[in-house]
Amino acid sequence: MKLFSAAILFALSVTAHGDEAMLTFEKDVRPIVKAHCTHCHGEEEKPKGKLDLRLRRFMDKVVVAGDPAKSKLVEMIRSGEMPEKGKKVSEAELAILEKWIAQGAITANAEPLVLAPGPMISDDDREYWAFQSIKRPAVPSDVDFKKVRTPVDAFLLHAMREKGLDFAPEADRRTLIRRVTLDLTGLLPTPEEVETFLNDKSPLAYEQLVERLLASKNYSERWARHWLDVVGYADSNGYSEADSVRPQAWRYRDYVIRSMNEDKPWSEFIREQLAGDELAGATHADYQQAVLDPKRRDELTATAFLRMAPDGTGDGVDDPKLAKNQVIAEQMKIMTSSLMGMTVACAQCHDHRYDPITQADYYRLRAIFDPAYNWEAWRAPAQRLYSLYSPEERAKAAEIEKKAAEINREAQAISKKFLDEIFEVEILKLPEAERAPFRVARATPKEKQTAEQKALIKKYPSALATYALDLYDKKKQDIVDAKVAEATKLRATKPLEGFVMALMEVKGQVPATKLFNRGDHDQPKQAVTPGELSIIAKPEIEPFKPASVATGSTGRRLAYAEWLTSGQHPLVARVLVNRFWLNHMGRGIVNTPGDFGHQGERPTHPELLDWLADEFMQSGWKLKSLHRVIMLSTAYRQSSTSEASLHTDPENKLYARFKMHRLDAETLRDSMLAITGSLVQTSYGAPSGVGRDPQGRVVVGIDKGTITLNKVDPAGADDFRRSIYVQVRRSKPVTVLDTFDAPTMSPNCELRAQTTVAPQSLLLMNDTFVLENARRLAVRLQTAAPNDPRKQLQQAWQLLYSKPATEADLTRSLAYLDEQTKALTQYHHDIQHAKGVVPNPPQEAMASLCQILCSSNRFLYVE
Amino acid sequence: MNRPKLCSRRHFLHANGYSLGTLALASLLERDGLLAAPVKPESFSEMRYDLTPKKPHFEPRAKAMISMFMMGGPSQMDLFDPKPMLTKYDGQKFPGEIKYDNLAQASSKCFGSPWKFAKHGQCGMELSELLPNLSKVVDEITLIRSMTSGVNNHAQGLYAMNAGRITAGRPALGSWLTYGLGSETEELPAYMVLSHPSGLPTFSGEHFTNGWLPALYQGTLIRPTEPRILNLDPPPSLAGAPQDRQLALLKAFNEDHLAQHPGELDLQARIASYELAAHMQTAAKEALDISKEPEYVKKLYGVDNPITKDYATRCIIARRLVERGVRYVQVLNSGQSWDQHGSLITALPANCAATDQPSAALLIDLKQRGLLDSTVVHWGGEMGRLPVLQNDAGREKWGRDHNTYGFSMWVAGGGFKKGHVHGETDEFGHKAVIDEVKHFDYHATLLKLFGLDHTKLTYKRNGLAASLTDNQGAKVVEQLIA
Repeated sequence: MKLFSAAILFALSVTAHGDEAMLTFEKDVRPIVKAHCTHCHGEEEKPKGKLDLRLRRFMDKVVVAGDPAKSKLVEMIRSGEMPEKGKKVSEAELAILEKWIAQGAITANAEPLVLAPGPMISDDDREYWAFQSIKRPAVPSDVDFKKVRTPVDAFLLHAMREKGLDFAPEADRRTLIRRVTLDLTGLLPTPEEVETFLNDKSPLAYEQLVERLLASKNYSERWARHWLDVVGYADSNGYSEADSVRPQAWRYRDYVIRSMNEDKPWSEFIREQLAGDELAGATHADYQQAVLDPKRRDELTATAFLRMAPDGTGDGVDDPKLAKNQVIAEQMKIMTSSLMGMTVACAQCHDHRYDPITQADYYRLRAIFDPAYNWEAWRAPAQRLYSLYSPEERAKAAEIEKKAAEINREAQAISKKFLDEIFEVEILKLPEAERAPFRVARATPKEKQTAEQKALIKKYPSALATYALDLYDKKKQDIVDAKVAEATKLRATKPLEGFVMALMEVKGQVPATKLFNRGDHDQPKQAVTPGELSIIAKPEIEPFKPASVATGSTGRRLAYAEWLTSGQHPLVARVLVNRFWLNHMGRGIVNTPGDFGHQGERPTHPELLDWLADEFMQSGWKLKSLHRVIMLSTAYRQSSTSEASLHTDPENKLYARFKMHRLDAETLRDSMLAITGSLVQTSYGAPSGVGRDPQGRVVVGIDKGTITLNKVDPAGADDFRRSIYVQVRRSKPVTVLDTFDAPTMSPNCELRAQTTVAPQSLLLMNDTFVLENARRLAVRLQTAAPNDPRKQLQQAWQLLYSKPATEADLTRSLAYLDEQTKALTQYHHDIQHAKGVVPNPPQEAMASLCQILCSSNRFLYVE
Repeated sequence: MNRPKLCSRRHFLHANGYSLGTLALASLLERDGLLAAPVKPESFSEMRYDLTPKKPHFEPRAKAMISMFMMGGPSQMDLFDPKPMLTKYDGQKFPGEIKYDNLAQASSKCFGSPWKFAKHGQCGMELSELLPNLSKVVDEITLIRSMTSGVNNHAQGLYAMNAGRITAGRPALGSWLTYGLGSETEELPAYMVLSHPSGLPTFSGEHFTNGWLPALYQGTLIRPTEPRILNLDPPPSLAGAPQDRQLALLKAFNEDHLAQHPGELDLQARIASYELAAHMQTAAKEALDISKEPEYVKKLYGVDNPITKDYATRCIIARRLVERGVRYVQVLNSGQSWDQHGSLITALPANCAATDQPSAALLIDLKQRGLLDSTVVHWGGEMGRLPVLQNDAGREKWGRDHNTYGFSMWVAGGGFKKGHVHGETDEFGHKAVIDEVKHFDYHATLLKLFGLDHTKLTYKRNGLAASLTDNQGAKVVEQLIA
């Protein structure tokens, strides 16, 4: 009715006022009432004086359309009665209100029928680009189609043409294979692979190269790493200084790698991570069936996504309540930044200051996850591990345990017998009169002893003989120990018990989620029901209906996961493809990948982003398809040198060249191991350990450190595995990785830094890791081409740079080897070597050259 | 600057076969004016950036700066800005209008400072009892009580105070200073960052990012505990001439590579970082080692007290770095430890106990070495706090919300006035009412002390000349300058 009349009024007023600009509620009036009035009149739980000024149609009590003089709104303001608090309404603002009323107090658009409590989400908010549905835009057709290999190119060409730029020429094949291999596998191409590609005459040689790499297991290790950054993967609990180890986290890491390997649709991948337990039909007390089935076990493992946040609740922290709440808060941060690209966490304590996310929204979202965490009936990390035993294994283990416990009891009995014997000797040392009372006192349980008895025992402490057998008689203790060892040995024959780190609900436990005043868990306010952020909510998700789950789990997470992956959510696909693009191209279309909100950057190519998001969903949320769309494009194959692009667009926002970038930390370490022939390609399983060495570096190996001494022992082959299989201890970041910007997870990493600082140079100059690898490379080269430095150098160039050395490179290097060999000969001549050490100056000189090659920009950068 | 001079660098090169001679000679000679400056190439792609000392626009007062950044927003009315009226209204409704950070959270109850203020020094500056050590050196500092940035959030406040504008991704002040002035040392990074053992402040790397300035000007983060820099020792067989030979070859290869990728600033920065790293091997360990500092100095800072030990050690290191020619040092706290929305009554004294003595000692120590006149010392955060109570849930939970409409910080040395209080907030300490200093005015003033005109220190970006103060109408606050 109201809508109708407003529309009529609008039509009338246009004729009545001719050319005079019509004021509307949305554009002209709402900013004024929002600044001065709606804090009390609309945004609080109960609007003051029952007056809600958030919508025009609520205003009839105080606005008489067409007659400002009769409108109470004007009267109250003019008299100074309102606003009660805060800044007064200025004359200019009041004039606008009056004019608007005089013109008929119209709205520009129909107003929403229902309004959530709290601050109003304005049309401007709703019009923000990131909240719009993803629609597939038309591919620009006004571009040079000779340069378009995939639609990506058309979007980019269209945008760069406005700036007078064009794609850089295609990179040569050597550059391409190096770039593509590093990008997809995190490793360098071998010289043989380079050779094969160069000689491949097929017109589809490049396409086939991409296919080969997409199928390699190294691909999944590399691309799993990107996701592990975003989810904040770590093998330790963080939070407190204890930073205790998460010995079972690696199963989640393996799950991610396997998912990449099989190109699992991301819709499924996300559903499993958010609600795998509900998919698998498991709850906290009823999961045994699920773990026996590989698929359901995978689904349970996936929920460790929701267990990645730092969790100090098992480490005896000062304020356990705070620690529990912090786990949920940090996990919310991870979930929303990874999947929604929104800084939702800002709304934990107050309405978001820049994005239309209310504090109530935050807690509604949290309510979806709360039943599984249940911070009032909290379970510490150890209580969230689920055994992988089969019934047979469990029975066998129980049987063994029974026997072992029996042996333990025997040991105890023997010990008691020995002590009693000793007692009979010791008691004779007491005065006759005190013996009987002492005997009674000894036989009395400690908590039942009288004061006299306690005093008596204190008087003759050594006569007690109820413990510390070893101090009375070491040999007898040995007999007991031998018995105990028997039990220990027997226990070791139990089947190995693995655990899944997972998130599950306890059947029937559904805590009420309450809004925490100021985010303070000690100040719970009104209860909230689960739901999506208001700005994003659509009929598909609101009102929120949990999925029906037979097990007794609430089904909230499953319902939410289905909504996120329904194709209707405006953010999920955009956020995902933006990250994939960023990882390929060195810069995001939205270059703040964790913040698509007002404080983040705007997309440089909004249509391209939407096209990619839609394409991704259309292809079944398959990442490998998207890789092809991006990597087969002309844009991706461009040379990295383009003076025009570098000059007008140094940050490469227009993608008129391939952006040169440094190898990331893991690629650097893994490649160095690979070129020296020492990389161990064992996949999956428990991580290689780390520890602090005497120089203070954190290195891979077996930690033998104590409080006073740093020590790490080599662990053999385990020390040479790919970095993704190295333990991520939050408090002990591996120095080689840390120095080159591998993230420390607190709680996760949305975008890695790429720094260029002197500690990196120092590492490449002096770190044992680099020196050892250089030595190994020299040995490898010598073995391949004994005593032929020329040939050795050529091989080194092929291994590191995927290209032959120039004559100038060789001349310079040979001269260097010559001089360095002389210097090292002199060095060894001057010092006394330990017995058995035979110096080899030519080889050391070659090693020092290999080190230089590994430290050079040609090695460190992807072109 | 009164820096200990061992002997001239050229003398040093010849005297003991200084192992880095060949590599660095050219740039050292150039620095000493013995080689003609190379003709500046016109082409963009051949543009090179370096850290050689640059001549400022005019005669500088300051050459170096130590910024003790206090992330979180130290409470001005409990530390620097006494408000008797607030005490008078304690517990009553705030009579004026307040600009809340967030209305839903705020109470309108006045929260008079629980701590006493007294006059100190010849200047009679009033400070809180929480700062007994700073109180003894008030005659050295300028206290600004009227800072504003106008943006009530940590991230934006940090960007404003540390990078000139409230938007993300811009170069930090330290990057601008090293970009504008180069370095006074070849042996240490020009811009160094000393972080807290518990971790970086919130927004970690953004405290010392070079933003869109060349990577050469980014801050170098030092490890918070020993060894503060790893890998300073070459392997014995390569130490000296063999490593020089390595680095010379590396440089040759890298220059070839750069020639194929002209204009790639990151490649240039990495070439420079090897030269710096080579020098650091000989210099950094000594610079970061405070063990040979006299006992009275360690005591002055509080190295002997477990509560002050960490901050004291880092302040001494900061002084040692400045002594050795480092341009800009940041001493950081962890998290946003000054962000007392609650538990102000216990948390604020704890913060002060850890930092008050070391920061006051830094002034005394710099002064006794004759370094204070040429070194700006800064103590402050990204915002201040409100005069009203937040978290009215029992005394132990009381706190204050954000306030960027009037907060305090202090600066000293490098040409700032001594024993001076600048600006005032209203009677309740909410808003700056007299002599407001906006963040960009402060930056413009700071650059002036370094001999730099804030409108001329620019970097060409997207076809525009970008600067630290960037078209915000920044004005030098002459009243701050001695």
